[in-house]
Amino acid sequence: MKKQLISGILLTAMAVTTFAGCGSSKGTTTSSKKGSGSVYLLNFKPENDSEWQKVAKQYTKEKGVEVKVLTAASGKYDSTLKSEMAKKNAPTIFNIGNATAAKTWDKYTLDLSTIDAYKHLTDQSLAIKYNDKVAAIPNTFETFGLIYNKTILTAYTKLPNAVVSSVDDIKDQATLIKVADDIQKRIDELKKQKGCENLTEAFASAGLDDGSSWRFSGHLVNLPLYYEFKDDGLTDITAGQAEVTGKYLDNYKTIWDAYVRDSAADSKTLDSGSLNAESEFGTGQAVFYQNGSWEFDPLITKADENGYTLKESDVSMMPIYFGVDDANQGLCSGTENCWAVNSQASKADQKASIDFINWLIKDDEGKKDMNTLGLAAPYDTMTGDYESSNPFLKAANKYISDGKTNIQWAFNATPNVDDWRKGFVSALTAYTNGSGTWDAVKDAFVNGWSEQWKLAHAE
Amino acid sequence: MEKAIKKYFPVFMIPTMVAFAIGFLVPFLYGLFLSFCKFTTVVDFKWIGLENYKKILFVNGKYDPSFIHSLWYTVAFTIVTMLIINVVAFAIAFALTKGIRGTNLFRTAFFLPNLIGGIVLSYIWLMIFNSVLQRYSKTIVSTAGSAFWGLVIVVCWQQIGYMMIIYIAGLQNIPTDVIEAAKIDGCSGWQMLKSIILPMMMPTITVCTFLTLTNGFKLFDQNLALTGGKPGGNSELLALNIYNTFYGKTGWEGVGQAKAVIFFIIVAVISVLQNKLTTRKEVQQ
Repeated sequence: MKKQLISGILLTAMAVTTFAGCGSSKGTTTSSKKGSGSVYLLNFKPENDSEWQKVAKQYTKEKGVEVKVLTAASGKYDSTLKSEMAKKNAPTIFNIGNATAAKTWDKYTLDLSTIDAYKHLTDQSLAIKYNDKVAAIPNTFETFGLIYNKTILTAYTKLPNAVVSSVDDIKDQATLIKVADDIQKRIDELKKQKGCENLTEAFASAGLDDGSSWRFSGHLVNLPLYYEFKDDGLTDITAGQAEVTGKYLDNYKTIWDAYVRDSAADSKTLDSGSLNAESEFGTGQAVFYQNGSWEFDPLITKADENGYTLKESDVSMMPIYFGVDDANQGLCSGTENCWAVNSQASKADQKASIDFINWLIKDDEGKKDMNTLGLAAPYDTMTGDYESSNPFLKAANKYISDGKTNIQWAFNATPNVDDWRKGFVSALTAYTNGSGTWDAVKDAFVNGWSEQWKLAHAE
Repeated sequence: MEKAIKKYFPVFMIPTMVAFAIGFLVPFLYGLFLSFCKFTTVVDFKWIGLENYKKILFVNGKYDPSFIHSLWYTVAFTIVTMLIINVVAFAIAFALTKGIRGTNLFRTAFFLPNLIGGIVLSYIWLMIFNSVLQRYSKTIVSTAGSAFWGLVIVVCWQQIGYMMIIYIAGLQNIPTDVIEAAKIDGCSGWQMLKSIILPMMMPTITVCTFLTLTNGFKLFDQNLALTGGKPGGNSELLALNIYNTFYGKTGWEGVGQAKAVIFFIIVAVISVLQNKLTTRKEVQQ
């Protein structure tokens, strides 16, 4: 009898420990008042996690609505989203970046066309529309182009026989490349000028490793895509089309060749992963650096921390002149960070989520939080004190007010982004290190596109 | 005693069985089911039959060699690493049971690489490889061949120490009386190795070949961090190929799942065959 009792206790003990792990997941998210709903936001940017947690706490304190923020690890957003969405308490707000993602998550996106925040968008074409609904609205606005070192470039223009006599004279692709070629030739001469002591190259290295290749397979590729879509008369350029011809790839080649030629990096080992273009630019070794507005933070705000020597007055951004319509070309502004609200969540949770988004966009406290998060949200409520202080974004606006055209983010349409880019980068790497041809790059661009498009849009 | 075991076996077995079911059986069967479905999240699926399996080989109606390429690449990789790791680990274990000075220091040093995680390890090796290859204007992912040997070096370096420890344990288990008897009978060093030590070591060899074989097939971290499948997916081992299919392509989760099922079958069949083969060579002491 005694033995049976002991074994009975043991059995219960073991069973309890086995199941203990399964039971504890409840409770945390449902602790808010019944019926009021709660918010669960899946955050896309790991660098913002601590700020988001503060925002969540603040909102809960103010409105009494539970906000949970989970941040996916870097590069793990897609897999986290897939597994979180399968759970009972799935995210109520999540991030999607483009039309393909809107297709994948079509069943889960709520039509946001009636919510307040959407009405306040400065440009409603920035929202992602799919299947006759507004699937997601942007939470930030970014721009990219050619960041340049004003100090060095100005010093160059003062040299005898310089190609241009003022930075403002660089207005087209041919001039840009002539300037870069000339700088590369006259490094030693230029190094003697004040502020140019570290100079080694015109263009910061064009690394083709995974940490850098997106600058060329994503951002630079945007230009041939944009001009082609525009020629084809697409109404929604960011949604793209099934076939591309690569008619402007020669312009891409011209600028790419210059990136490689006028740089100190060895063209055969651009994929080594040991190059750091940001630090080359940050320490004054390079004059031009193709990247975006998000670089302001590491280059200038955190310059000391990173060991960079630049000040705000040293940098500015110009368009990546592409030789198609240079006279009207502005910077490339757009977004790939958009909020979607989970249509599978309970009505109360959906409402709570929409309220939260509206609060972030319209309430003064919320707007302040958006600023802290470093998100330059493109809404007409974000004016005055809440306007982004990012000088690259200001430059983008300046080009537009000067009558130039914003180059929309056509690359958001890239089908099966990872796969398509992989093929393109692989061909570009082979072309650059001499083991492949430019035709293979064209092939990866044109045929890769239609193949992946068929796959991504198949039912 | 036997009666007591019979009576109480559920007490000891049920918790383990439950854990096994939750942690292995259910996900496995569920995964098998999902390989016949189109799905985005695992709770939202649509039965589509063998469509996923067809897509492994045929993309847009054309034959797609990438999975088969990964398969052969993995097979070659597994054979090469299995041979190198076992031969070298055995040799080191043999040398380190001879009682030379500093044996413990050597054992520790050889075992150490095994304590570093695969991702970190591969990033460190990536730097080493590329700074050496820089002199020749090459990188580790310049060709599928160099990526292959890069992976082989990293994996061997990491696993030799671990297998060495198992071999050392095996060597120390050989009864000294057998060795002594052989010596008295005038056995030469080579004969000793071939006729006494190796047959006695067969159980250990079974374990080690099994481990290196399955490790080779399942390799993921090092592949992801060192080559990432470059150049152009040519150095993608099966596990990475499956991962990229699952997460890289829109709507291809099911195909990734189908590939994983095929992968499981291959690994299972090969492991069973290998086990049969080496167990047959084992001798009774």
